Amino acid sequence: MSKKKISCKEVMDYICDHAGESFDSPKCREIKEHLNECENCKHFFESVDKTISFYKIYNVQIPDEAHKRLLSYLGLNDE
Amino acid sequence: MTETELIKKAQEGDRKALTELVKRYEQTIYNFSFKVCRDREKAEHTMQETFMSMVKSIKQFSGRSKFSTWLYTIVSNHCLMMARAQKNKYHASLDDENSLIDESHIADWKVTPEKVTENNELKKILDEAIEKLPYDYRIVFILRDVEGLSTAETGKIVGLSVPAVKSRLHRARAFLRNELDKKLRNE
Ligand SMILES: [Zn+2]
Repeated sequence: MSKKKISCKEVMDYICDHAGESFDSPKCREIKEHLNECENCKHFFESVDKTISFYKIYNVQIPDEAHKRLLSYLGLNDE
Repeated sequence: MTETELIKKAQEGDRKALTELVKRYEQTIYNFSFKVCRDREKAEHTMQETFMSMVKSIKQFSGRSKFSTWLYTIVSNHCLMMARAQKNKYHASLDDENSLIDESHIADWKVTPEKVTENNELKKILDEAIEKLPYDYRIVFILRDVEGLSTAETGKIVGLSVPAVKSRLHRARAFLRNELDKKLRNE
């Protein structure tokens, strides 16, 4: 059995759903094994995770003025 | 008052209940709109149109889906309408999957995600990267990965099957990662 049955490209191309439904498929198990020993793919997935975190953390607050304009646009008032 | 009670009252024409619903969701909708269009003015406009649609059609909300899912559907449609109105903007093509992933030299990024709250240059990098992504990919990425909705819920909102959502998501992630990599690999 060769050590690298699955290529980096294949690993990066494949999504093992974080929600879990396909996490235990043979393919995903193979991918997890590959990730344990491949720095390159580890960095890839870490940077994908970071990408998602960046956009999660980057939030904006609705300005008070925009809140007021919204209610008046809708003809509602807040008391 | 529970959300179900509020919705019922709002459907019967209670303005107070309607106002309360708007207040419960305005921050979510504003933030979502901003995350899609990366512009405060457009985000406000999209939010206004979204709640106007909500007010006009709340009687049609059947309760079969979550109220938040229903609102996300409305706001996503308004974002797409906005996108069509400015279609001369350049977006990358994500048809060629092979160009998305270059599996050689993957760099380790030193910058941590928390930095984004204090670093305006990083914000600019994030804005510019996602602005190149076509809107239909952007919306899938934001609903599923950023807002944390399920793949099935995301599919329902944008009218795609679960495998189609996954494929778009994968391309969007890879595209954004590559764009950020150009700027962050040496940080
Ligand atoms: Zn690898």
